[in-house]
Amino acid sequence: MATTARAPERIATRTAKARCRDDSVGRATTSRAATVAFNAFMSMSRAAAIVGSDGKLLMQNLMFDELFSNCGLIERIYGNQWQDCQIAIPDGRVFRVEAITMDDGWLVSAFDMTDRLTRARTDNLTKLGNGVMFRERLIELLANPQPAEGSAVLTVDLDRFKAVNDSLGHHIGDALLCLVAKRILSAVGPNDIVARLHGDEFGIIQTATPQPESATTLAARLVDLLGRSYLLDGQLIDVAASVGIALPSASNLDCDQTMKNAGMALHLAKEQGRGSFRFFEPEMDDRLQGRRNLEVDLRRALALREFSLAYQPQFNLKSRAITGFEALLRWNCPSRGTVSPLDYIPLAEETGIIAPIGDWVLRAACREAASWPGQRTVAVNVSAIQFANPGLVLTILSALGESGLDPWRLELEITESVMLDAEGAALGVLQQLRGMGVRVSLDDFGTGYSSLGYLRSFPFDKIKIDQSFVRGMPGDKGSRAIVRAIASLGESLGMATVAEGVETDDQLARIVADGCTDVQGYLISRPIPPEQITEFLAFHDTAALASDRG
Amino acid sequence: MPDTIYRLVYFSKNRIAGGPERIATEIDSILAASRRNNPHCGITGALVFNRGIFAQALEGRGVAVETVFERIQQDPRHGDVQVLAFNKAAERVFPNWSMAFLGQSREDQNMFGHIGRDTGFSTARIEGQRLLEIIRTIALEEEARAA
Repeated sequence: MATTARAPERIATRTAKARCRDDSVGRATTSRAATVAFNAFMSMSRAAAIVGSDGKLLMQNLMFDELFSNCGLIERIYGNQWQDCQIAIPDGRVFRVEAITMDDGWLVSAFDMTDRLTRARTDNLTKLGNGVMFRERLIELLANPQPAEGSAVLTVDLDRFKAVNDSLGHHIGDALLCLVAKRILSAVGPNDIVARLHGDEFGIIQTATPQPESATTLAARLVDLLGRSYLLDGQLIDVAASVGIALPSASNLDCDQTMKNAGMALHLAKEQGRGSFRFFEPEMDDRLQGRRNLEVDLRRALALREFSLAYQPQFNLKSRAITGFEALLRWNCPSRGTVSPLDYIPLAEETGIIAPIGDWVLRAACREAASWPGQRTVAVNVSAIQFANPGLVLTILSALGESGLDPWRLELEITESVMLDAEGAALGVLQQLRGMGVRVSLDDFGTGYSSLGYLRSFPFDKIKIDQSFVRGMPGDKGSRAIVRAIASLGESLGMATVAEGVETDDQLARIVADGCTDVQGYLISRPIPPEQITEFLAFHDTAALASDRG
Repeated sequence: MPDTIYRLVYFSKNRIAGGPERIATEIDSILAASRRNNPHCGITGALVFNRGIFAQALEGRGVAVETVFERIQQDPRHGDVQVLAFNKAAERVFPNWSMAFLGQSREDQNMFGHIGRDTGFSTARIEGQRLLEIIRTIALEEEARAA
């Protein structure tokens, strides 16, 4: 401390007085070295010395004298056990030491890089440590012979932080991160290490026993504390935090793996819902690996033409004719066989792969339907995520244009989530599509919010009644009442009502009695591949004719 | 121009472990800290404690309220913090209290009535009355639930 604060003149005086030892080193060499060294000596933030080829200290400035005279540095340099490196001195400062080899000795210099190191390991925004610091400390911890007993690695991440940033601006987002940092610091122990890893993700190395109890307590406290309201700039802000925890063990002492494990646990905690925490379990690795493999296969599937459509007929009870088909996606993966949409659609939605798949489905359905005999409609499911894409209308226009299908023969099936997610934007898109002549039906009605408001806000062509109500037991009065109510609602609003999943004659009789206009399900037909549609229709028309005559 | 006054009203659940005596000691310490710190930053307000529920109103400059509330949020002695209101206020409802304590009265039905009589609480202060009414209602509701 005193050295850096010392007035320049004094150091210059001392430099001039730097001891020259008249040893076996030749005078010419010494004076050359002294000239080279002079600049270093004049540089006040550097400690400098000249070491002769015999390992004797020939010349040193004051700073060197104070910092390194008794630490064995010279001996190490002389013994060739030296590489340029950092050396920490007892007061906590860190020096970068360089030894430049000369003809007959070394010029040794060292400068204080404590500040630079601190800056490189500090997060500018929150003043916590950053990812570099976190990893260094974790590596240190894991190198400890017995780290497993009393430590835990936690990663924390805010749910909905992006929404705050987007709606209130980055300065509020940044201020929020600073408050989060302070709350985390208030919850951890004095020896715990906290860092902001990136964005809204924080890392904590907890040193406490016993584990996992201590980590559980801390994680629960963080979820509670970080989930409490924040006041910033006159605004009340609510976010939630999720926490993932990995416990270093004798079998896992790898920094990357430990952080990855905590990250996986965090990912699953977030999946579990806002404001929760989870410990890493080895199965998670398998599960996420499984998801990654599925994602790889899914991304390839389009290019490799592994998708196909099957079509399930819709039967009108009044005209007793097949009026259209619902297009259903089939994935036949060479390594997995037929994969159920339930297994890959959620992943496709999460990863955004749903967009190109949805695109393909629309185009394929329009193309295939254009070749059907008669004027049957084709129904295509469109997800909320596709609706959020502004390009949807153009895709539909081009699918219709390429196939030559009459717009009224395309029917989009949407669920209530479409209306929920797009905050009013979806309604505009629906109206635009309707303006083009495309039909729109409301799918899975009865299972979600079943808001009557949606039925009022847009004139759907059809309401599809979820199969769970249709398949209710004969004595299930509740389900029947719902089917009847929806059918009557549809009649009043001028919307067709389709009962889905009809499998037996009893169910058909009931939904006919309850007033549904259309029916779809195994009783009419399973989904059929496109190449069998013409045959199916020919057979069905003949059968209908025969039954009419009979 | 005087600084804009903000008012915050929240309630939270007690997490002080221990019996009534321990709770009373902790509340005394909370109040002492409030009364020590609040005058410096121009915060006034009222704290209610009733059968495991804290309800508090804080008023002062925006930054001061935010700073004090941030400290309150980190206090492990309570949890489940629910902010009911955070708005600009026309004037202070508690101009003379660095932190009024509305007590752990068993006669909570009349608690606010007593305060009105004892302190000359003006009935004209509709806004404050309404906020206090919220505090009171919550206390009663929670009490009814606990009963």
